[in-house]
Amino acid sequence: MSDTITFALPKGRIMQDSMELFAQIGITCPEMESENRKLVFENREQGYRFMAVRATDVPTYVEYGCADIGVVGKDTLLEQGKDLYEPLDLKFGYCRLVVAEPKELMQDDDPSNWSNIRVATKYPNVTERYFAAKGIQVELIKLYGSIELAPLVGLSERIVDLVSTGATLRDNGMVEVETIAEVTTRLIVNRASLKTKHERISRIIDGLEKVIGDEVRISG
Amino acid sequence: MNKSVSPADITLPKGVKDFLPLKAAKIVYLRQTLLDIFSRWGFRPVIPPSMEYLSVLERGLGAALQAKTVRFDDRQSGQLVTFTPDITPQVARIVATRMREMPLPLRLSYYGRALRHEEQQQGKDREIFQAGVELYGIDGAEADAEMIAMAIEALQALGVEKFTIDIGQVEFCRGIMEQLELPAEQLARISEAIAHKDNSGLRRLLEQSELPPPQVAEVEALPRLFGGVEVLDRAAEAVKNERSQKALTNLRQVLDVLKVYGLEQYVTFDLGEMQGLDYHTGITFQGYIPGYGQAICAGGRYDRLTAVYGYPVPATGFTFNLLNLLFAHDRQLDDVVGETTDLLISQSGEDKQLAQRIARAVRQQGLSAARDMVSRTFEQSVDYASKMNFRYVMTVAGESEVKLHSIADSSEKTVSIEAIFAGNLELS
Repeated sequence: MSDTITFALPKGRIMQDSMELFAQIGITCPEMESENRKLVFENREQGYRFMAVRATDVPTYVEYGCADIGVVGKDTLLEQGKDLYEPLDLKFGYCRLVVAEPKELMQDDDPSNWSNIRVATKYPNVTERYFAAKGIQVELIKLYGSIELAPLVGLSERIVDLVSTGATLRDNGMVEVETIAEVTTRLIVNRASLKTKHERISRIIDGLEKVIGDEVRISG
Repeated sequence: MNKSVSPADITLPKGVKDFLPLKAAKIVYLRQTLLDIFSRWGFRPVIPPSMEYLSVLERGLGAALQAKTVRFDDRQSGQLVTFTPDITPQVARIVATRMREMPLPLRLSYYGRALRHEEQQQGKDREIFQAGVELYGIDGAEADAEMIAMAIEALQALGVEKFTIDIGQVEFCRGIMEQLELPAEQLARISEAIAHKDNSGLRRLLEQSELPPPQVAEVEALPRLFGGVEVLDRAAEAVKNERSQKALTNLRQVLDVLKVYGLEQYVTFDLGEMQGLDYHTGITFQGYIPGYGQAICAGGRYDRLTAVYGYPVPATGFTFNLLNLLFAHDRQLDDVVGETTDLLISQSGEDKQLAQRIARAVRQQGLSAARDMVSRTFEQSVDYASKMNFRYVMTVAGESEVKLHSIADSSEKTVSIEAIFAGNLELS
């Protein structure tokens, strides 16, 4: 089918949640349940293809049109600032992007006095924009994981990271000081796909919108 | 001292590239096909310079393009000059300053390159190839429809099978947005949400805004008004203000003209499309090919641009982005762009005159031919010819005959030189 719709989904939990949601509007992929090592799954009858990719790569696949539709966290969209449509909040995977620091630092800290601070994060663009808007210069340290470690070993004073329950922060003696953004999972659509396949894509968006409840969920 | 040259030292600035013969032939083909279509509709070419004074060009550039100009110091005048980031303002300047005595309408076409500063790490092109048209002096819907019809005909002429021309109307959006009494910052955030069709983000912003419910309903409708012709009916239902209604009437008139041309099946509508250069004042449109994320052509009405150069005339136009078109349509062009040369002509011995005269004769006949000037064996000539996309190797064999060797199937035949000089060489 030439009018196949291709989805880019992040491997793991979000992929499961997405497929459960899609199943409610009749989009399924039996092949996905049997084979686990594959990266591309297809439902030829319905004309759908699903690619399993890294979460941070989802916007790239969609921007370049390799996938028509993607599912990705708002945190990734904020960080990458790509030219995409994001017509739906899927309302799962809720978490917050926060500034956090060690408890001891917090006791006599006043955010309004911050001037030149060092911040470790996976989100350098969001972090820079957030502090620049407040007129605060930051020295950014880009890390790829275990951000909470940075203040413990003196790599940075503060961190900007995602928290869902806050348990990891607490276990590492950190407290939240400010919330930068609330994050949920979004449906994103390639610009050209929305125009050239508008009938099928509109049907998907409208269908999903009806089955998404008002309630925001934390995944996991 | 003789410095050694390492290939790693000889590089290009990011965002520009060389095009080797195969790709270059495709670009030439795209350009020529487009210019032929433009001329068939009565458009005549103009050629603006590649650099201008920044202070002059800047008048015609929106904020987004101003930020992307590549500028430098002109030693002669002490002024800043810029490589143009967009050819439309240049043509507007030419019309306003050099062609204002001419009768309207003016139909002008252009082909050229433009430079835009892009964020380095994104690996985007900084040099773009534009081929487009501008129609000055007509403010009616027929002129807008002409632009869309030409874009469609051009894509058909290029053999693009599936494409969409997606039409918007900036006046429709402005009719809704001008009613909103909100601080500029909040308006900008609402516009951004609409531009990304971020329905949930938009709803949250509107909930915080305390706007009256009818206005909220009109704004909320915007990012959903995309699709086929039925969008115009939905829009008429959802949006009641006069300015937007007028924009809808204009869209219907354009659609009516497209129906006469039999082209309505190629268009879709997106009334929430905010993408368009800042100078647009009416219809805007973009062309998309499935599977390629960026527009291959874009255009629209811009009635106030020439006024900044002192000559107010209504105008509409569009331009193809040739590199986007090339990448979206690359493989299909393999079949039409024969980057082959018909003949490689070789002659052994000191005297090459016969080969030279044959080459001249076949070129006059309309074939393409290159002389094999290198002294080498027949096998070596064939090897070279097959690597360099020749169709035949022609070897002079005696005074009256040549041997013709086909690269495709290695078949050989002899042809009389007399026939070649008579202009009768037949290649299959």
